[in-house]
This record gives sequence, C-alpha cells and structure tokens, in this order.
Amino acid sequence: MIQFLLKGILRDKSRSILPIIVVSIGVALTVVLSAYMKGAFGDLIDQNARFETGHVKIMTKAYAENKAQLPNDLALLEVDKLIESLDKDFPEMEWVNRIRFGGLIDVPDAQGESKGQGPAAGIAINLFDEKSSEAKRMNIESSIVKGGMPQKNGEAIIGNDFAEKLNLKIGDEITYFGTTMNGSMTFQNFIVSGTIRFGAAAMDRGAIVVDISDAQKMLDMENGTGELLGFSKLNIYDDEKVKQLADKFNQKYVDDLDEFAPIMLPLRAQNNLGEMIDYSSYMSSIFVFIFVFAMSIVLWNTGLLGGLRRYQEFGIRLALGEEKGMIYRRLILEAILIGVIGSIVGTLIGLGGAYYLQIVGIDISDYMDNSTMLMPSVLRAKVTPELFFIGFIPGLLAMVFGNMLSGLGIYKRETARLFKELEV
Amino acid sequence: MKNEAIISIQNVTKRFPVGDGEFTALKNINLEFQRGEFAGLVGPSGSGKTTLLNIIGSLDSPTEGDALVLGKNISELSHKESALLRNKHIGFIFQVYNLLPVYTVYENVEFALLLQNIPKVQRQKMVMEALEWVGLASMADKKPDKLSGGEGQRVAIARAMVKKPEIVIADEPSANLDAENTHAILKTMRELNENLGTTFLFSTHDEKVMGYLDRIVHLRDGAVEEDEIIKSKTTNQ
Repeated sequence: MIQFLLKGILRDKSRSILPIIVVSIGVALTVVLSAYMKGAFGDLIDQNARFETGHVKIMTKAYAENKAQLPNDLALLEVDKLIESLDKDFPEMEWVNRIRFGGLIDVPDAQGESKGQGPAAGIAINLFDEKSSEAKRMNIESSIVKGGMPQKNGEAIIGNDFAEKLNLKIGDEITYFGTTMNGSMTFQNFIVSGTIRFGAAAMDRGAIVVDISDAQKMLDMENGTGELLGFSKLNIYDDEKVKQLADKFNQKYVDDLDEFAPIMLPLRAQNNLGEMIDYSSYMSSIFVFIFVFAMSIVLWNTGLLGGLRRYQEFGIRLALGEEKGMIYRRLILEAILIGVIGSIVGTLIGLGGAYYLQIVGIDISDYMDNSTMLMPSVLRAKVTPELFFIGFIPGLLAMVFGNMLSGLGIYKRETARLFKELEV
Repeated sequence: MKNEAIISIQNVTKRFPVGDGEFTALKNINLEFQRGEFAGLVGPSGSGKTTLLNIIGSLDSPTEGDALVLGKNISELSHKESALLRNKHIGFIFQVYNLLPVYTVYENVEFALLLQNIPKVQRQKMVMEALEWVGLASMADKKPDKLSGGEGQRVAIARAMVKKPEIVIADEPSANLDAENTHAILKTMRELNENLGTTFLFSTHDEKVMGYLDRIVHLRDGAVEEDEIIKSKTTNQ
C-alpha cells in the first residue's frame, strides 16, 4: 500500500509539488538560519574564548572584580606553581598566561622627538615557545598585514590602521609608556616586526602584541600574569563541563578571604556570554517553532485544498470498503512520505546555502566601526552534523499537523451521500 | 445458485430530516433478492432507488425495519463492520466511472485488492483475470484519460468484480454511455452474472438496461409499485 501511495504522490504533481515546495522552503530556511545562528554565535563565543575569556579564566579575586580596568597590580603571582597544580587536577585542559595592558604608544622621529602618539591596547602572549599554540589560537600569523611575527625579545606587532595613521614602517621603533604592576612608570622600546588586523574592531584599535616575557619584564611581573586562560585540549567548548570544572576549582578557595586568591570564571560568566549562549539556544528553538507553526498553517490550507480535490477519490475509497480511520491514517502516512521527501530536499538545499554562508559569510564590518564588543566582522554559518536532521523537525511535524487538521473532514463525510456525490 | 436469499428487506422505512420536518424516502419496503439475480430498481427521480441501494450497500441504514445483506443486519453494523462488508462482499459501479486518474487501469483495479491485503502475485493474477473478463487486458498500463467512456466503465466493472463479490450494485451505469457501449457493458455484466453467480442490482431508468434484467422492481414515492419477474433473459439480446 505504501508503494501505491508513493506512486500517487509522485504522479499527482498538484498533490505533491506544492507541499514539497512549502516543506522544502521551510526546512531549507530552518537549516540555513540554524547554521547561521550556530555559526555566528559560535564564532562570537569562539572569538571571545580565543581572544579574551578562554574556556575558563583564572584571575585573582580582586582582579576579577575590576578586570575591565586591567588592574595588573592585582595580578596572579607564582604562576608556574599554579599551572603545575592545574595540569595535575585538570589534565584535559591547556593553560596559558596572558597579560593585558593599557598605556600609550609614542612614535619618535629621526631626532627622537614624538611625531605621533596613540592609546595602546596591549596583549602579551607566549610567542617564542614552539610548543605554545597561542599565536595560532589568536590567528596572529594569518592576520598579519605587513611584516612578520616577532623573532626575538623587543619586537612587537601593532595594529595596521594605527601603523598607517602614524606612517610606520616595518623595522621602525616605537616606545610604550605605561605603569608597572607596582605602580611606577615604565618605558619600553619595541621594533615593529609587523602590522596586524584581527578583523574585530575592538581588538584592532591600538593593538600591540608582544611576547609575554617582554611584558613581564616591562611591567615588573616576574612569574606573574594578569590572566591565566584554560582551553579544552580538544578545543571544544562544553558549557556544562566547564561549569563543573570551575565549581571544582573554586571550591578550594571558597573560604579564602585573601583578595589575591585565585578564582576561575567559566566562559559563560564573562562578557555576558552566558546570556548570549542561552539566547542562541532560545532563538534556535523559536525559529523552529515559528517554522513549524507557519508551515502547519500553509500545509493545513494545502491539505484542505488537496482534500477538496481528492473528494472523489476518498468517496470511491469509502465505497470500496476502506474505513474512514484507515483513509485518515493513510493520509497521514502520505503526509509523512511527502514530509520526508520535502525535508530531504530542503535539507540538501539548506546545507548548500549553509555551506555557502560558511565559506563566504556576511560582512558586517561597516556596522562594527565603533563597536566595543569583541565579535567577528564577518559572520559565517557553520555546517554541523545536527543540520542533517534539524530540518526534519519542522518539515515532518508541519506536514503531519497540517494534514491531521485538514484530514478531519474525512470523518464528516456521510457514506449515505456517496452515490449522489460520485455522480458529479 | 438461486433460491438463496442474499438480500432481505423487511418493513424498511427511511426518513431524512428536512428543515423542521422529515422526508420519507422509503415507505415500508419488503423485498428479497436471491443469489445470482440480475435485477433492477426502476422509477423516476425521488422514487427511493438510490436510498434503497445505499442501505443494501451498507452505506446507510434504515430508520425502521431490517435490511439483511448476506445474513448481516445493516442497522446493527458498526462503521468498521459496514466497511468490511463492502470491502469483501459488495462491488460498486457508479454513473461516472470514478477511476483514480493518477493510476493506471491495472492499478485502479488492483486498489480493491490492496484493501484486502492480498499478496502481490495473487493480486496480479486476479487483476489480469478481471481485465480479461472486460476485454481490457491489453490496456492495463493505460491511464484513465486515455480510455473511451465505454472502456472507462468496463474498468469500473473490473474494479467492482475483481474481488469476486457476492453482490454488485450499479447506480445508473449507462447514464454516460451511448447505446453501443451500454449494450457492451451490460453483456459483460450479464456474462459475469452467469459465469460467477454474482448478484447484480441496478438502479436505472434506461430502457436498454431494463431489457437485460431478470427482474424489475418498480418504485414510486418510496414504495414498491410493482415487482416484475421477467424470465428467459439471455446474453444474446
């Protein structure tokens, strides 16, 4: 019987084409939007993790309270010992030091006079250790516009826009002015080894990237770091797992009143990312619900029209002795077949669209010029395994709901009127 | 084969609500049809022919009285049992052939057997046999829109006959056919009646159809006006 119904669906274009088109469009949109939201929010979270929050971040409690001010005077000390203990307790994580610092960059002319200045948003990471994946994690090498990576202490990479503004060339010298962690003034000269554009407006303004050993020396932070970031070695952010990890770590220091005691914050507890993660999940559910609802209404109407067109067929089937319940169930079975076909077609189209958006993305850099939020300037979709089945939820549900509603008319059909009806 | 009451209508009355009142379509009908009869209900529009066929075909039930079809009291059957009775034992032929347009001739005939869950090999044999009865075996792969009116009605006969029902109900089967096709399908039905012993019950006011009947029940205003037995009818008319 299924084969018989399938033949009918495939041959009766008006019975199958419109519902398949509606289901396919809905499914394709669901897949593309899910992929795009997943990609955009994923990129946003990933970028925040890579550049700022880590999957978890350890700071002193006092630093954590004022972290927006980058208070390096409240930095973690004896970091090697802390990392050793963390490696033992959490072997699944990789721990990296980072120092963020503010200050001023001065560009001297040939006579040593200042020819230009600008605010510095410095970040110090481990650039020279071959085992360190920090440069890769922050995409530094691929973000370099001119020049190259620092090869030795005393070299720095600066923001490309800043370099262009001050007419800086590779090999030019710049001077950093700032304060040490002890509050005294510090000056440090750096040779520009390269210019960089991260693609995130908040990062690109006044960026200066130096090796962590230079920053430790410059800021009097021997064996100290402002932030200790933890990344899953699998590079997969697992919200629940990370939360457990942070709880476990913090449990050790819960009664420690020392403001220099460490505290671990999971990604979701930083930069409002928790709300972002929940919002992403909430919006995905809303999209799926909207598509199920909208498509159900369209397919209900399609089903009603189809039901009118198939009035004669249902009449013949009733006369031939097919039970009303059986006709209804077979109508639902047809809906499932159409829903599956539409969902497969829609998923393929949606995956194609999602893949295109994954490669090309949508450039929002024009809207990000003044943004302080750390987010990518090109939002891309992300093709994930769940996209292969997520479209089946609205595709099948809408088709089945729509036909369940429209098919109820079968039960109102009076068999006593069949002869009259079938005379027409 | 004959002299076995296959349909027994006992004091059947059928009323329909019309506005605030009622319309009586059948008034105290008493009739009996024997297995293998080739009979017809004849009368003007509104005489109750279709209402009586509906009751015999288990599509409707009487308001009063009993309609026994193959020993089953139609009034006592549930929807499911009525459907089963139609599915297994009653074939229908309509004024309009009512073939499913997206399916081939073969598939239209096969559909009646699919409802009975008959295995494919057996189905194939039965469908081809039914198409041979009506002389359309060579058109099995054609779609209904490629058939003439007479061919369409012959497919409808094959669909009604393929499950070898005890009773075939034909409602004005010649209404859309010319004289030549009317004679052709009636000859076919008559042959099936004689060869398979199927009881045929017609509703008609077509003189050509009446010429083939063994028995004509004249209805007027919901009552039997005359029950006319016509003997020695043959297929060679």
